[in-house]
Amino acid sequence: MIRLVATATFREAVRSRSFIALLGLHLIGVLLARVVGWISSTDGNTITTDLVFSLQSIIGVLVAVATGTALVHVEIKQRTLYTVLSRPMARWHFVFGKYLGLGAALVAGQIAMLTIGCLWLWVTGAEVHGWLLIAGILTCGEVLIMAAVALALTALTSPLLAAVLGLAVYALGHAVSSLPGLMYHLHGWQRGVATALAAVIPNLGMFAYRNDAVHHIPLPWSSFLEAIAYAALWVALLMTVTVSVYRRKQL
Amino acid sequence: MATPILSFSNVHFAYRGDWLNRVKSLDGVSFSVPTGSAYGFLGANGAGKSTSIKLTVGLLLGYAGSIQVFGQPQGDDALRRRIGYLPEQPYFYENLQVAEYLTYLGKLSGLRGAALTAAIDRVCSILDLDSLRRRKLGSFSKGMRQRFGLAQAILHAPELLILDEPFSGLDPLWRARFREILAGERKRGATLFFSTHILSDVESLCDHYAVIDHGRVLEEGALADLVREAPLMLVASGPRPDDAQDLGDGTWSLQFSEADRERRVAAAVAAGASILRLSREHQALEDWFVDKVKDFHAAGQDMEARS
Repeated sequence: MIRLVATATFREAVRSRSFIALLGLHLIGVLLARVVGWISSTDGNTITTDLVFSLQSIIGVLVAVATGTALVHVEIKQRTLYTVLSRPMARWHFVFGKYLGLGAALVAGQIAMLTIGCLWLWVTGAEVHGWLLIAGILTCGEVLIMAAVALALTALTSPLLAAVLGLAVYALGHAVSSLPGLMYHLHGWQRGVATALAAVIPNLGMFAYRNDAVHHIPLPWSSFLEAIAYAALWVALLMTVTVSVYRRKQL
Repeated sequence: MATPILSFSNVHFAYRGDWLNRVKSLDGVSFSVPTGSAYGFLGANGAGKSTSIKLTVGLLLGYAGSIQVFGQPQGDDALRRRIGYLPEQPYFYENLQVAEYLTYLGKLSGLRGAALTAAIDRVCSILDLDSLRRRKLGSFSKGMRQRFGLAQAILHAPELLILDEPFSGLDPLWRARFREILAGERKRGATLFFSTHILSDVESLCDHYAVIDHGRVLEEGALADLVREAPLMLVASGPRPDDAQDLGDGTWSLQFSEADRERRVAAAVAAGASILRLSREHQALEDWFVDKVKDFHAAGQDMEARS
């Protein structure tokens, strides 16, 4: 059941105009990144590589938040789920299948963007190496967490608010890694708020390996595996919240 | 009496309104759908038809009372394998093709392999979807979506077919075709349960009916009983009773109830009239339905005035 829902969701997502349009936007961005490389005063290839991978992350997260917030909400609003959920299927199968289908589409988008980016870097003479692939895989982890965040927030609030909160989580998620250093300067309730934030916001800094990869700085395998496990744990936690809300939701 | 295929017993349901308010939708709804019947669920917009249907197929949760499907309490996911459901004004994924979508929904209903292929061929054939198999549903008109909606509902040959306003958005030709298809489904052994506010659909398809208004079932029964309640019309020539209507060609007509049949016919014959025709004046269900709902509202206003 989950596989069937995931397959249908994947097909629907990768054929949607917005998905194809964002890939097109990425392509234009990648082409323009070379122009920025040319006019930069430092190493043009490094700047281009940095921009290409940053663009992949930003577009990936935007697609994840936009599609994650719309994923089930649009189904409820347009009643497309009526013909699916009236069949012998548990609601959690449906919600989990939807997430897996979206996740597969997002990963497919990431692979397409990574391929386009690496091909362009190779064509323009920039170095393409294995650490860039590791950075791309970690970006996938970040995007999958953000899709789960968006889906969970939509279950709890309206899609618009969920999108705003999702982007806030993204910004805070990248700041979480600097919280331990900040703690020394905080006292009382401020320290309490910072500690609480660090606990409830996923630490997206664990996936921000892009800059290091561009400069050939190696990532220890333990850090890579830790980041993958961390992403899996967050997705599991967020999906538990989402499923428990949708199990009781009136459709 | 055989176990009904679907029964509601004193079902109450309220939607969540603004803040903590609850909006009552069903107020003690009770009815029984006999196995093998064609059951028309009549009511105006907002009467509670779709809510009852959504509770049956598990789209709405948290009701009070009892809903039994196939003699078992509603809520078991596996029971839905035996149900086909067409939602009101159905929407579908826009980027999936007809064949892909039917394959997806057929698999969800437990069909696989040759059985699935045969089922898709069958519904595409009877709903003229063969040439549209590779079309995406986003390009479909309202009527075409309705056709696809019925196709997916009957795909797995369900025992209970639940249709929410099945004729909406159809042109006259397809309305007639839908009636034929539904009659065929019934012949196959399926029980039909459908909501409508178009009463001619009930007259042409159903043998049982219920009328729902403001979340309450006003009346339920066999359509044949309702037809028997329709008045008789006597057309005759010769001596004309005082309350008969002169038809202007030497004949007259007289309307009376089934209970008065023997007395009125005997009196006419005794007076020397020649009976030309005695037939049942088919009272349109529409008039009856409007009267029934008006009476209900009048009674409700009386009660409110007294309280």
